[in-house]
Amino acid sequence: MVSSLGGWNILGGLKASVSFAWGWKGSGGTLEKDEVVREDSPRNVGGKELVYYGEPDFLGLGQLREAWEGRELLYSFFKRDLLIRYRQVFVGVLWVLVQPLLGTLIFLMLFHFLGTQRTGASQGGGRLGDASLILIGMLFWQLVNNSLRDATGSLVNYRHVITKIYFPRMLLPLSSLMCALFDLMVGFVLLVPVVAMANAGVEWWRVWGVVPALLWLVLFCFGAILWLSSLNAQYRDVGYALPFVLQIGMFLSPVVYGYERIEGALSPAWQILYTANPVASCIGIARWAVLGAPLPPWLGMVLAAAITATLVISGLIWFQRSNQSMADRI
Amino acid sequence: MDAIHADGISKKFRLGTLGEHQRLTEALSKGLRRWMAGASGPQAERQEFWALREVDFRIGHGEVVGIIGHNGAGKSTLLKILSRIVTPTLGRVGVRGRVGSLLEVGTGFHPELTGRENIFLNGAILGMKRSEIRRRFDQIVAFAEVERFLDTPVKRYSSGMTVRLGFSVAAHMEPDVLIIDEVLSVGDQAFQNRCMGKASELGGQGRTILVVSHNLAAISNICSRAMLLDKGRIAVDGTAQEAIDRYLQGMRADTGMACWEDGSGPSSQDVRLTRVSVRSGAVTDSLERGVTSSVAIDQPIRIEIEYEVLRDGVQNTSQVHLKDENGVFVFSSGNAPSMCERADSSYGKPMSRGRYLSVCEVPANFLNDSRYVVSVFLGPEIGRPTVSSESVLVFSVADTGAMRKEYLGSWYGPVIRPRLSWSTELVD
Repeated sequence: MVSSLGGWNILGGLKASVSFAWGWKGSGGTLEKDEVVREDSPRNVGGKELVYYGEPDFLGLGQLREAWEGRELLYSFFKRDLLIRYRQVFVGVLWVLVQPLLGTLIFLMLFHFLGTQRTGASQGGGRLGDASLILIGMLFWQLVNNSLRDATGSLVNYRHVITKIYFPRMLLPLSSLMCALFDLMVGFVLLVPVVAMANAGVEWWRVWGVVPALLWLVLFCFGAILWLSSLNAQYRDVGYALPFVLQIGMFLSPVVYGYERIEGALSPAWQILYTANPVASCIGIARWAVLGAPLPPWLGMVLAAAITATLVISGLIWFQRSNQSMADRI
Repeated sequence: MDAIHADGISKKFRLGTLGEHQRLTEALSKGLRRWMAGASGPQAERQEFWALREVDFRIGHGEVVGIIGHNGAGKSTLLKILSRIVTPTLGRVGVRGRVGSLLEVGTGFHPELTGRENIFLNGAILGMKRSEIRRRFDQIVAFAEVERFLDTPVKRYSSGMTVRLGFSVAAHMEPDVLIIDEVLSVGDQAFQNRCMGKASELGGQGRTILVVSHNLAAISNICSRAMLLDKGRIAVDGTAQEAIDRYLQGMRADTGMACWEDGSGPSSQDVRLTRVSVRSGAVTDSLERGVTSSVAIDQPIRIEIEYEVLRDGVQNTSQVHLKDENGVFVFSSGNAPSMCERADSSYGKPMSRGRYLSVCEVPANFLNDSRYVVSVFLGPEIGRPTVSSESVLVFSVADTGAMRKEYLGSWYGPVIRPRLSWSTELVD
């Protein structure tokens, strides 16, 4: 072990991630038992192993385990973020609804005044059909937008704590993701009546397709925030560049228009490239599930899945590497 | 059984690059330039600094260990590595049981959240489970004395309340290994005493504790063992007293002397000041020995004034004013017979040309542990100086714990701390 100190330790590391428990909590298994014994009695650490602080493993799986062990802290961070958001706010949670609702209305009006180009809902439903199409796009995009936006700054904003105490740092961007997910869930409340009123011919067996679409999008956001948050800890440019990227991303993804509108305008090769964007694929699947819109091309979805997987795996590896020097460089 | 293993920890920092590499474009262009310049590109611009070198120790279960050293000796880096915040460049750290690190009081408090919410958040950051926090909630609140303000946002708390609450959460964390950095130096006096008390109490419960402090008295009181860090290495690893002694000796390398060898000192027609120095301990003949800016509280202090008499037949007196760091006037003393314990034989006599040395001796166990500012005056009569050098020297008196064996309280407040005679007799 001594020879591999401080460096990558591919084989030993995998073992290490299992046996070297997280110092923050000690060796998890014996903790519960100890707790009963130790109330105000002299310490008994006899049952505990001397554990060395985790060395990097190849895929950064140790940190996932750590994050799981720290789920109570994740909940605390999540609760804190929500509490802070709605402290000294009058209408409270309604703010979550205002953003997608206003966005949808604005785009509906825009399309109306610009010569009422249909947004591409294949099924009927008129304006309300358009509204539900845009709303799905908006809600999903809001998840990407809010999680990336909040997670990018999450580590930097918490640097006074990161440099003072150890905890699984991945929990901070994860908490931002959870908040964005919370917003999405609240937003779904809005979607149900709109879709119902649109009478868009919802098929109940298909609606469950929203779940994998959402999980996929969450996975994509997870990979992205691993990169963004830790990069931003070192290079603040990331935080400045992100708003542009998000703005461009919103128009490059079928957020306010249906995927079919692109279909006619692009050659097949470009179509595949277009749907290789995981956000586009996820929204496409969700619209298929709720509104019966056509699914994005398979090849595009496979590419998007590959991109998502790459993002998550590389994100885990990078985050772990970055974590080693985070307190020094943040 | 060992609680902490530190195996050859070294930590390297790169000077100057911390702020410089904050921009991605710079990092990219630098990488590009280095790549174009070939692998042997200029690396010299990057200065390296080893904050810790080959630090190697084991701490047994239940030991209370102090870490002392000058600023920049690597104490905080060591604590950060032990609490896993910073990864060592070389070496590794192993710990048995749960680690609680308290490098700052109230880490992660959010001003918008109420006291109650912050207790749960802060506790969770420190690594407590919700059930644990809930179980100790009442104790935490009682210790911090914030019962009435539990549902008030912490931003409306006074700073004292915030600090109390922060410490209280941390103190109830009950880790197996507790790492404390200078926490004892914040807050008001009563709070510091309680921190000290709590730390001793935790030590008494068989927890392993590591403390960094500049408060030597606290170290000598609660620590059975201490390590002195010097320039990133362990200079002493022994009893608290050994480490403190070496630490104070090391300080003697600092100034403690103001010197005007080239005749530029403050002067009048008759006399010119050439040197003022503070010396600790008994009289020695060598000039450099014992000159210090830091004196142990149980050592006598010699304030030496060296001056040159420029004309034959001059009468001269020397006088010293001592103020503490808050500007409180501690004493004024001169070499007139009525002001001295033993008369100064040269007082009132005409002096021939040459160098003279006046020494004012302040007894041991007299000043408190504080910083003191020396002003020096020369002139034909006491109180009418013709040469003055205000605030010429600063020295500090360091509490070695010599007067704290039976007393855990604080000496903060009084300017002096003399040892006086006491007796108690049965009279009836």
